[in-house]
Order: sequence, then C-alpha cells, then structure tokens
Amino acid sequence: MKVDVDVNEVKEIIGRSPQKPSFLIAILQDIQRHFHFLPPEAIKETASALGVPLSKVYSVATFYNAFSLEPRGEHTCRICMGTACHIRGASMALEQAEKQLGIKAGETTPDLKFTLEVVNCVGACAMAPVVIIDDKYYGNVRVDKIKRYLEGA
Amino acid sequence: MKIQINGRWYKAFEGEMVLDVLRREKIDVPALCAHEAVEPFGSCRLCMVEITHENWGGWKGNVTSCLYPVEDKLRVTTHTPKINELRKMILNLLLARCPNAPEIQKLAEEYGVTITDFVPRPDADDCILCGLCTRVCAEMGFYAISIVGRGYGREVGTPLNEAPPDCTGCLACVNICPTHCIKYEDVGNVRKIWDREFELVPCKRCGKTIITREFADRLIKDKNLPEDYFDLCDDCKRDDIAKNMSKLVIWQDKKEEVKR
Amino acid sequence: MKIDSPQKLKEWRDRCLKKKAAAKNTIVVCFGPGCLASGCREVYAKFAEILEERKLKDITLKSVKKTGCHGLCEKGPLVVIEPEGIFYTRVKPAHVKDIIENTIINGEVIDKLLYKDPKTDKRIEKYHDIDFYKKQTRIALRNLGHIDPDDIEDYIAAGGYSAVVKVLTSLTPEEVIEEVSISGLRGRGGGGFPAGKKWATCRKVDADTHYVICNGDEGDPGAFMDRSIMEGDPHAVLEGMIICAYAVGARDAYIYVREEYPLAVQHLYKAIEDAMECGLLGENIMGTDFSLDIHVSRGGGAFVCGESSALMKSVAGDVGEPRAKYIHSVVKGLWDQPTVLNNVETFANVPEIINKGGEWFKSIGIETSTGTKAFSLVGKVENTGLIEVPMGITLREIIFDIGGGIKDGHKFKAVQTGGPSGGCLPETYLDESVDFDSLTKAGSMMGSGGMIVMDDRTCMVDVARYFLKFLVDESCGKDVPCREGLYQLHSLAVKVTEGKATEDDLALMEKLSEFIVIGSLCGLGKSGPNPFLSTVRYFRDEYLAHIRDKKCPGGVCRELITYEINDKCTGCLACIKPCPVDAISGEKKKIHVIDQALCTKCGACYAICQFDAIDIK
Repeated sequence: MKVDVDVNEVKEIIGRSPQKPSFLIAILQDIQRHFHFLPPEAIKETASALGVPLSKVYSVATFYNAFSLEPRGEHTCRICMGTACHIRGASMALEQAEKQLGIKAGETTPDLKFTLEVVNCVGACAMAPVVIIDDKYYGNVRVDKIKRYLEGA
Repeated sequence: MKIQINGRWYKAFEGEMVLDVLRREKIDVPALCAHEAVEPFGSCRLCMVEITHENWGGWKGNVTSCLYPVEDKLRVTTHTPKINELRKMILNLLLARCPNAPEIQKLAEEYGVTITDFVPRPDADDCILCGLCTRVCAEMGFYAISIVGRGYGREVGTPLNEAPPDCTGCLACVNICPTHCIKYEDVGNVRKIWDREFELVPCKRCGKTIITREFADRLIKDKNLPEDYFDLCDDCKRDDIAKNMSKLVIWQDKKEEVKR
Repeated sequence: MKIDSPQKLKEWRDRCLKKKAAAKNTIVVCFGPGCLASGCREVYAKFAEILEERKLKDITLKSVKKTGCHGLCEKGPLVVIEPEGIFYTRVKPAHVKDIIENTIINGEVIDKLLYKDPKTDKRIEKYHDIDFYKKQTRIALRNLGHIDPDDIEDYIAAGGYSAVVKVLTSLTPEEVIEEVSISGLRGRGGGGFPAGKKWATCRKVDADTHYVICNGDEGDPGAFMDRSIMEGDPHAVLEGMIICAYAVGARDAYIYVREEYPLAVQHLYKAIEDAMECGLLGENIMGTDFSLDIHVSRGGGAFVCGESSALMKSVAGDVGEPRAKYIHSVVKGLWDQPTVLNNVETFANVPEIINKGGEWFKSIGIETSTGTKAFSLVGKVENTGLIEVPMGITLREIIFDIGGGIKDGHKFKAVQTGGPSGGCLPETYLDESVDFDSLTKAGSMMGSGGMIVMDDRTCMVDVARYFLKFLVDESCGKDVPCREGLYQLHSLAVKVTEGKATEDDLALMEKLSEFIVIGSLCGLGKSGPNPFLSTVRYFRDEYLAHIRDKKCPGGVCRELITYEINDKCTGCLACIKPCPVDAISGEKKKIHVIDQALCTKCGACYAICQFDAIDIK
C-alpha cells in the first residue's frame, strides 16, 4: 500500500524537537501520530536531521510496538489481552474480531478502513474483557456483540 | 594482577575481560558471538564460566566471560557439569534454529548433540543472530546493516529492506560471520553483495582486483591516504619494496667497493 | 506565584487550607483508569451541564473535583460526596440530577446507588465503612481519589512539598539517605532492592554527572498502580524525585513513561509545568542552591524496557536491548553515568518517609519488608480495584476481606502475582504473608503489584501458555536462551493445551526451563519460565490430565472440551442468534442441540444462558 507523503510536513514535525539522537523515539512517535504510520521518507529525513545512521533509525522503528511501517486504517479496533481480560475470555473476542474483519491482529483491512491490534492491559480490568474501538471503550464484551460494535464505528 | 583459571594462575590486565585472558592463554572456551575486532555482545552465552573469589564467602556465580571484567585473585572454572549442560542446551537450541549450518553441527556434536530435541525452524538460513556482522559494520563506520525487529523473528537486515546505501562492499561482515552465511559474488570487476553492485578496482600492474571503488575512496578520505594508494595491489607493492631494497643493497656494496 | 522561600510555601498552604474549609461540599468524580473506561467523562459532563443550568449558590462546577483512582474500580463510575464520604457506585449520567437534588441540596442518600456488601447484603453509606477500604493503609496512594492531579494547590493543601522544604533546609544528602535507609524502603517495582543502599552507592561514585530516573514503564499486564499514581498524584512522584536527586547529586532527572499511557504523560507535563512556574522545580528550588530539571521520556512500546539497562538505552533513543549487569547501572547507567533508577511507587513513598520519619515507615509492615504495597486486585473477585495494604497481610485477607471473595459463587483456585516474571500460588498459600521474601520462596514474586485472582474455571496450563506467549512477543531477542528457549518452551506449552504432548515433552520443558534461568542475560529471560515452573509445581495434575487423559479440568483448552446442552434447557431460543457459526438448532420449548462439527468453543452461548443448561466437558 503506497501513500503519498509531503516531505515538508515530515520536516516540520522533525523540527519541533531538538535535533539530538536522544529524541529519536519521540520524533518517530510524532510522525506516527500524524501519518498513522512511518513513511519511508520520514525514516530517511529523521536519520539525516539527527545525524543517526539510517540503519539505526530503521532498527528503532522495527523494535517498538508503537511504530508501524505500513499505513494504518481509519479506525482502530484494540482488543485488550491483559491477564484479567485473558481469563475472562479475551482470546475469543479476538477470534471473533479477526473473523469479522478478515484480517489477523496487527494487520489492516485492504480498504484501509480498520486496523486490528492487541494491547496489553489498559487498566480497565474491572470491565474485562475490554475492546476499544477508536476512543470508545466496550466492557464486559460478549463475543456476539463484536460485529455490532465494529459496524458502529 | 593475577587470576586463577582451572586451578592455574595467569597474568591479567586492568580493563580486560576474562575471555581476553582465556584467548591469550589458549584455553578453549566456545564463544560464537565474540571477536577481538568488536565489543562483546553476550548473545550466544557459550562462553559462560563459573567464578568465585576468596572474599566472597563461598559464593559462586555463572557469568559470560566475554563481558566480565577481570579482578585481582578472581577464580574461574571454564567447564563445570552445569556449564557443560548449559552449553549443550544452547547448542541444542541453535541446532533447531540453524539445522543446516555445518559449524553449528560440528560444535554441537562436540557437546554431544547430534539431533535437536526441538522442532527445527522451517526454511532455515544459517544466521545465529550473533550480531558480529552488524557490529563490525558499525566499527568500520558504515552502519550499512543492522538487526531489524525484535524477538524470535528478528533478522540481520538492510534499512527499509532496500539495498543499503551506506555499504561499501568491504566484506568485513562476510569475513567475521561464524557460520559463513553472508554471501557475495565477485565476477570480473563487479562485486555483488546485499543487493548492491560495486566496481572492483584492479591493480594497475598485474590486473588482480584489490578493493571496491567505494571502500577505497572512503579509506583514502577517512585515513588521509594518498590518492594513488590503491593503484597497486599488496603483492606488486611488495615487489617494488623488494626491488628498492635490493637496489639499496647494490648501492651500499658499490659504496663499499669505491671506499676500498 | 513564585515560591522563593519555605515561608512563602507555608503561607500558600495556609491560604489553600482556608479555601478548602470554606467550601461546603466537594463532589468527587473518580477519573481513574477503570472509571474512565466505564464512562466517568459523561457523568462529569452531566454535572457541568446541570450546575451551569441551575446556578446554585453553594455548589458550582468548582465543587466538582476530578480525581485519580479512588480504588473500587469494579463499581465505577464512582462519585463520592465529601466531607461525609457518601459513596455512590455505578453512577450514570441519568443519576446526576437526583444526586444534586436529593443528596447535595436535601441531604438525602440515594439507596440504590450505594455499595451492597456481598456478605451481608446490606447497603453501606460511607466508603470508610466498606471492608474494601477499611482494611487498607494508603501511603503511596494517599492522595488518590482526594485531590485534583492538575491542581497544584490541592497538593500543597494536602501537605505537598513540605518534605522538600525539610530536606533542602535542614538535612544533608547523607542524612536523607540515612532516613530512607532506616525506613527499610525496598524497590516497589518488583526487585525489592533497598532504596537507601542504592542511593548511597550512587552518591559515592566519583563522576561529574549523576542521574535519577523514575521507571514508569509498568509493563505487567493487569497492573495499573503506577499509571494511577502518575495520573492521580503526579506531584508526589516529582517530590520523591527531587529528594532523591538532592541525596544523590543529580542535576537532571527523567521519568520514563510507557507509550501506552498518554494520559499519564499529560498529567506529568502539567505537574512539571506548574512546579516550575512556582519555583518548586528548575533553577534554585525555593530560593536554595539546589536546582533540578525533570524531563519526561516516552517509551516506544516494549515490555523489556521496564528492565533498567534497556530503559536507559531507550531514554538515549536506542533499541531497548538490556546489557549484562556485571557493572551495575548505579555505577555506569544512563550515558554511562551513575544513575539511580526507582519505580513510581517507590518515589511516591519518599515524601511521607521524610515527613514522618524512617522509624514511622519501619513500624508498618514486617521487619524484612517494611511499609505498604499497592496492588491492582483483579480477576475473579467481587471487588476488583486499586488497593494498598501493609506488608505482612495475608493473601486470604486481601482476596476474601478486601476483595470480597470469589465472584459468581465459584471456588478459589490460584492467585497470580509478579506479572510474567511471577507465579501462581494455590489455596495452601492463602495464609501466606504478602512480603518480598515469602512470595519469592513460594515460587512467585512480589513484582510491581499485579494480583490476579483465578477460580475453578481457569486452566493453569493455559495461564502458563498465555504468559509464555507474552514473553516470546516481548523478548528483545538478543540472547539465545531467552529468544530460542522461551519460543520452544511456548511451543511445547501449546502442544500440551492441544492434548498432543507426551510426558517426555514435559520433562524437556522442565530441563529447558532450568537452563533458560541459568543462561539468560536479563531478568525477562531469567524469570521467564516462572509461570510454567510455578504452575507445574502446584498444579502438576492439570498438566498430566492434558497429557495423559487429553482433558482440560478448567474447561478452557478448546481442543479438549465440548460444549453440550443438558436437560435444564427450556427452549428459550436465546443462544441461537449469538452463535457466530450457527451451530445451535432448536425450536421453542424444545431442548436445543449444538452441532459439535461446527462449534468453535467460543463461549457465546454459555455466557448468555440463564438456566445453567450448557455444560463444558
């Protein structure tokens, strides 16, 4: 999936932080937040702006969960897989979501509408299992309701 | 200072690691991810040794010798039953990761493992993720390749999965790899490695290829070498030196003769 | 307002206290992680709407306070009317009007919103009288649920920054370290290392720069204590760090917050900004010689970055790969400088230790584990939430008194502590003391404070598999025993849950575990096999049931169970639609049938059946 990216936008985001190697992760997070992924242009620009080797920036981009090198969907469906949610049936919720969207956790639907992710504990353990679609929290989720939650996005 | 290894005392120097002493004294301890050209990493854990000290009240510990700094009167045991079992288990695991790598098979057999107890990795390459190639590339100053990803699926890779722009074709990674799993090809005056092609510079006299143009340019620039440093290969350079030396001898002889 | 002397701080505090006393009622709306997820924002918005409309004399929006986690997350959204302590649970926007009319204006309590004790079935008016709260001792969590984290005046009124005054004006760094050492405070992140000793060692290192880092990475799934403190009482963390920096000789400090906690970052930024504006942080704090800058460093999303050396690499902008710690980070840490790294909760305790003395802290808890510990009590208990208890309390008191016992009439099976590095303890350990050393001896560990209660519907093999998968995903991959070993251990655990394993496989798992523990580079690998080792130690019969009998006693492992409808079925048709694969057939008033060939064991029918007509065999 190729998405067009304005390099000037990238440069502007990079310019907001001090141009020091210790700000690499923070800058990549700003870029991720803005574009919903890390475009190749951004990785190259960050490397040159910070004086960090390109291979190092790429290593950091592929090490941390926060970063995605593929464009993410318009909506994000997150299934909490924390311990409390797990023992209250989170894996079944995940299975159902995967079935409904036709993708596996970590992937995005071909029409770029949904990205499905798993997260480890959002601190809402009392309402386990928890599903978060965009900013909306659904607690005590029942497997059969997932279809409806996704349609509501 | 002195440290004791397997009952004998050896000289050691401040700032050294235990493995440095082991290597110097030719005491055999396996260490796949350590190499004198690069900083130690601690990935393979094969160089594990048991340490103790008269001041430690009987406490013993297992540490990786590549990363443990020497201290005065340290006592090291390189092969205990537990450590041997550990090495065996590590090789068992590595054999599952790289079932086709001859170097791993050989080392594993030395420790009594011929077949792995685990499910071998399907379509396995020979990379044990020791990081020597990426570390030496960094040491050379190129940082062309790095370890990409995290955990079981991590790999040695190139930025954005494309041909690395910073590679100079120097072959340091090829030479340092313990399982020889980095491939390159020299055909005529073209070198192919990491999906890149480099122009090989031939010796102006004998025509043998010496080095890539990129690597040569980089060395000339970084180390302030004369522009024509790589015009001749080492053999031809030696010939020249030998000729000049023999000219000097002849001239000396002539001088002696004239004196007489 | 610039506080450039301790006197000015005292005057400010007096003004804040006067303001507080003048207010008639305070309506606390809990904005803790649990309540945020169950809809407190809408409840607060309703208060704002109605109060704006009504324009009452004594009560304005200023009387409604957003606080950090009050504690009883299970019953959220929580609304507390202070100073009485009237405690309303499961509050919805529709209830707000009545709360204002009946309780605030007319002083009447709304019965149906009160907490119902599961043991006596009686409604309890004030939270002080609920067992969940009665049995707690809140030190690190002292301000949570009582102050507005974004309002520095609330913190000042609660005594905030008085410890900094004491330290900067009357104690030498060595005396500060002495007080912390006397208190016996051990690291609350899980390691349990004596804080005073750590600070002393760091101070002694001869170097130009010393650093202080607060570990806010809280990666254990099921743990949200640190999140609650960072979001609900950020100034307590700052104050603890200032005191530590003074003791150790640091000019710059960092709070490392995991990427998944954007709200914590927000509240911390606000607290730092406010503190700097008042001269309580930055150059010449309170007009003294001591200066400190605190920076927030955001993680990129990696559990392994909770490990100290990996965390420091991450602060420096690198991948979070741990290193061998033969040279400790107190000697060579962040950018190779001597660094003190302590957990959020550890720092939150420090101001109280300075204010009330190390001896006071030592008098709580037991000799080898002094003070209190915060836990996130979750899982199959009645009262899930955030608690803080004195060390030495038993698991039974926590789970059955504070937690209110096992939910839905099921039986207790195990309690998991210490996150993925910890273990599961069975019924025989219920009267065990909760302290660092007892838990470790039993095969688990204190960890950061996640405490997950499991009942008879849990499969312990599945729990081990779950934690192993987590660790395989989160391992940095640097060393062989952890990367390859945990991967293989997980594969074998999956094999067991699928009923395909042999007893040889189990023996291999035990052997492999031994060497993962010996050979791994960092704590993640070294303690990685714990979930397996503790469950195989106490629940070996379950492993053998999976291996020998191909059965799952907990009714969880899908390959080994079947869902069957029994004759309690009333033919109500309720389970037919929810089935995602249309495996259930049946007519009205006739017993339904599940087609085993289609059934995916998803549990949807079991969840919806009101008549106990579905068995998991």
